Amino acid sequence: MKLSLKILLLLVVISFFVSLAYAQQNKFKLKPDAKGKLCLSCHDNFKEKLKNPFIHTPVKSGECSECHNPHTASHGKLLDADPNKICNKCHEGIVPKNPKSSHKIVVEGNCVKCHDPHASNNKFVLLKAGNELCSGCHKNIGETVAKAKFKHNPVEKGCINCHDPHSSTKAKYLLKNDLVALCVSCHKTDRPNFLKQHMNYPVAKADCSSCHNAHGSDKAGILFDNVHQPVANKMCTQCHEASTSPDPLKIKRAGFELCRGCHSSMMNDTFNKNRVHWPLVDKVGCLNCHEPHASPQKKLLMGDMKSLCGKCHTDTMEVQVRLAEKEKQENAASKENVMKGALTHNPIQEGNCEACHVPHASDSPFLLKQSKIVELCGTCHDWLKHTSHPMGEKVADSRNKNLRMDCLSCHRSHGTGNRHMIPFPTITDLCTQCHKQFKR
Amino acid sequence: MKSLRKHSAQRIAHGVIIIFILLVIGLFHSAKSFSAETVKLKYIQSVYFDDKGGNLKQPEGVACNEKSLLIVGDTENDRLLRYNFQEKSLKAGGEIKIPQLSNPIRLQINSKGDIFALDGKKRRIIRLTPEGAFKGFVDAEGVPSPSTFVPRGFKLDTYDNIYILDIFSARVLALNPEGKYQKQIPFPKEYGFFSDLSVDTKGNILLIDCVKAMVFSASKDAKDFSPLTKSLREYLNFPTNITTDSRGTIYIVDENGSGIIILGQDGSFLGRQLSMGWNEGFLYYPSQLCLNEKGDFFIADRGNSRVQIFTLVK
Repeated sequence: MKLSLKILLLLVVISFFVSLAYAQQNKFKLKPDAKGKLCLSCHDNFKEKLKNPFIHTPVKSGECSECHNPHTASHGKLLDADPNKICNKCHEGIVPKNPKSSHKIVVEGNCVKCHDPHASNNKFVLLKAGNELCSGCHKNIGETVAKAKFKHNPVEKGCINCHDPHSSTKAKYLLKNDLVALCVSCHKTDRPNFLKQHMNYPVAKADCSSCHNAHGSDKAGILFDNVHQPVANKMCTQCHEASTSPDPLKIKRAGFELCRGCHSSMMNDTFNKNRVHWPLVDKVGCLNCHEPHASPQKKLLMGDMKSLCGKCHTDTMEVQVRLAEKEKQENAASKENVMKGALTHNPIQEGNCEACHVPHASDSPFLLKQSKIVELCGTCHDWLKHTSHPMGEKVADSRNKNLRMDCLSCHRSHGTGNRHMIPFPTITDLCTQCHKQFKR
Repeated sequence: MKSLRKHSAQRIAHGVIIIFILLVIGLFHSAKSFSAETVKLKYIQSVYFDDKGGNLKQPEGVACNEKSLLIVGDTENDRLLRYNFQEKSLKAGGEIKIPQLSNPIRLQINSKGDIFALDGKKRRIIRLTPEGAFKGFVDAEGVPSPSTFVPRGFKLDTYDNIYILDIFSARVLALNPEGKYQKQIPFPKEYGFFSDLSVDTKGNILLIDCVKAMVFSASKDAKDFSPLTKSLREYLNFPTNITTDSRGTIYIVDENGSGIIILGQDGSFLGRQLSMGWNEGFLYYPSQLCLNEKGDFFIADRGNSRVQIFTLVK
């Protein structure tokens, strides 16, 4: 009797857990046939979709309720969870912990930017096949690849030859491996032809991307479009020790002293100025801003000016980003009423720092192109049309005995957060700094 | 009965001692917070002219000492100006103009009154007699390879030793008062760009990184630098000058932010003083600052083409 009671209890417990598991699996308590086929009876247009060769597994097995709530939902398309998180239910760990790089749209959960959640004609239910999908967003690279006279074979075959589309634990830019390791997996560095092309220098561990554009280029050897003359002429010894020396990659002189050998005229001009841009004379010297071998940018610059100057002048560039956003929001909010006066200065927003500053050296403070502010601003702005306020060397600034009235007496060229780039919230506040009699 | 009285007297005595200790702790704390929170700069006056009425033009350097001497690097005019600031009164403003010096951007005075100036154009440190006569260049005699050095800044310690921020070879060079090499300390591995250095009374060397907005330090006998602060970006924009007072309090010039940042000797943030403007008491792209034992605080207010004098109020 006691034994049968125990067995009975055991059966009750087992059936409880079985029903619990079933309930979890079938949380909507759907009838056995209330699956994909039933859904398709209404969602007729899906039948065509399901003819695609690649079908998302839950769709294939008719488990529509894996993603959709058949009754009600807080999310569009009756999705059972946040659209940016729902994929993680099954595909958790697609971005590993501590990746060295990860695809922004993956991190944001925008999986549908690349994948069709139901079915597609492409492997991995991708929206488009091959590089066409990637170049949809990465237009610049897509154009480079398409236009390149000299193409890189693996790129032609597919971006995923080198990049992991989700994340990489090994390298930046979603690269599947460290850049050099990736390159040498195809390019055998001990082959005579490779050595000859590289003038017998031991470049096996060097940064290939300092010369080559992995996406293809118009230059032979897929070198970047702008090549430093000694590299183009294969005259490595102009800067480096001989390839046969114990330390062949060592440069012959440090910092700007190396570049001075060829660029003496420019250097002399630079050093004859009162003020030098200090990074030019530090340990890194010219290479703070210029690439030594090749670059996609003109003048062998390391990047566009906005990012290049912003590398050190982060305070200035961060303000520019905030001001641009503020301007955008204010202009959008104002609707019909056009907001007068700019919050940002176009040359900075366009990354044209050279419109006002000389990057190497200048006789003027702030490395300005011209010593007189009115003349400098006058290269773009016709101030006589803009204001009749007296300005120039003969007009003293009443706030300060040693200052003369110029454009910067009222404006700040990098912006202030106030319209017209004035340093005070209103024009009245500005004018009454000097014209105190009108202060209320 | 007697023992009971004795016992309660002892208890009272203990109580008094505890209250006394608590009071002392309280006072110490309030004194600490006083020094931490109430360092303020009170405006005294501005320097606009030399003794002949000539205007200052974009002055970047300023040096002072305990003998009321104030030297101004009148940068755009390629000259130095010598003033005397005593009892809140400014006298003279005599010009020192020599062919060996142009574009003075950083100044120091040693205990003998010799004037040192960093020439921003030639990137050399020049030494002048107290009267302003050329005495020679600081050539770092005996400096180990690489022999090239480019000084971005320099400071003298209380023994007149010369410390040079050599950005070309990424090191700090320590020279004796005659300019002979003593030692070098390499820059730390992870840095942005060092714009200035300072040496406090204990011999600790401080570096200010204008890109990372951090202070690095090396104690007197240390062989390398380590971070003293985390990024101070929330307090400043682009720091270009650093100095310390006799207590080790650190003062930093925020050039782009036009303000002065005050840190404790442990690098803790104590406050920010002054702000951008053109009127007196405001700064516009300041360059170098100097303070003396009397609490006189001189700032080369470059963008305003003047030197401003403040007094430290604690």
